[in-house]
Amino acid sequence: MKALIVALALIIGPAPALAHKVIAGVFAAGSAIEGEIGFSNGDMAVEAQVLVLGPDGTELGQAITDADGFFTFVPTQPIAHLFRADLGAGHLAEVTMPADEVAAILGLAPIKSAEVTETAPPSSALSNAERQAIAEAVRNEIRPLRREIAAYKEHTGLQTILGGIGYIAGLFGLGFYLAARRKLAA
Amino acid sequence: MHIVDGALSNPVVIAGAFAAAGGIALGLRSLTLERIPAAGVLSASFFVASLIHVPIGPSSVHLILNGLAGILLGWAAFPALFVGLLLQTVFFGFGGVTVLGANTVNIALPAVLAWMLFGRLIGRGSPLAGAIWGGIGGGFAIAATTAMVAAALALSGDAFLPAARLVFFAHIPVMAIEAVLTGFAVLLARQVKPELFQTGASA
Repeated sequence: MKALIVALALIIGPAPALAHKVIAGVFAAGSAIEGEIGFSNGDMAVEAQVLVLGPDGTELGQAITDADGFFTFVPTQPIAHLFRADLGAGHLAEVTMPADEVAAILGLAPIKSAEVTETAPPSSALSNAERQAIAEAVRNEIRPLRREIAAYKEHTGLQTILGGIGYIAGLFGLGFYLAARRKLAA
Repeated sequence: MHIVDGALSNPVVIAGAFAAAGGIALGLRSLTLERIPAAGVLSASFFVASLIHVPIGPSSVHLILNGLAGILLGWAAFPALFVGLLLQTVFFGFGGVTVLGANTVNIALPAVLAWMLFGRLIGRGSPLAGAIWGGIGGGFAIAATTAMVAAALALSGDAFLPAARLVFFAHIPVMAIEAVLTGFAVLLARQVKPELFQTGASA
């Protein structure tokens, strides 16, 4: 009996995510691309396999998400990277990082390099290691913010709902009008 | 319940689109002047029902209400649910535009099946008996929808059994809730507006 309950709990356990939307994002993190995959209710995709594909569909590599839904991938070519994870049961996470962003990570920075060095004046006495530590700290600080923004984007407001209902009323009103006109004409 | 863009293979997406178009055409033909307002109301309830999250244990599932739409509308459930799905895609980002046809079939066909199987039984006898059959129809529609979703995934290459089991077990609470909701809706409608079911029973 106990085994049955456990088995049932295991089957039901991962399922609730079914009712939610998949959200995925990628961003530069030093010399790597960091990404996160999860569901709009805040559940993250744990140990999901992420396929990394080039613009022509060739496989560039793979990554596995950690307990917080994060994964990292170190790019080697300045081309667009498509990250795809199949979360099962009709949930597919897909997110692309454009070629110029990947190029910036690799330090190749094709066009924007001049602009970037201008806006970031040579910092007085920071070593490379210190600069990286600061960048890491800032990334860690804004991570919850980023997640909150992603969750906020998925939030449906009352206006959206009322707008949808308005569309339905209008559409069926139009149908009603057309049907009535046809009936009157007949 | 909403399959997203890219999860289904092309043949399944195309077959779904054709099946949905056929169902919508049949539904529009059966949609008489008197039944357009009912279709609109049920379309709107379907649209909003997906936002009602029922907390179950650590997470939540959302209502679908396709059984109720099917029982009251018959084939007209196809256009009504299609409109609801289309607006859910546009406004909430549920599902996707290319898989709209497949999603419509997955949700509307079980609704029509529930009407074919239980429509007559709901329309006759005492209101209470009708309500019980309505509840069974509401639960049946969800069960059939999970089977359709699993089948669509299976045809696209997902292993059938795990996918089907996952979707089915996740929706057992929804089945129970919708069975109760549909039962009460039928009970109320049988008492205040019994003529609502006469079209369903005679067609």
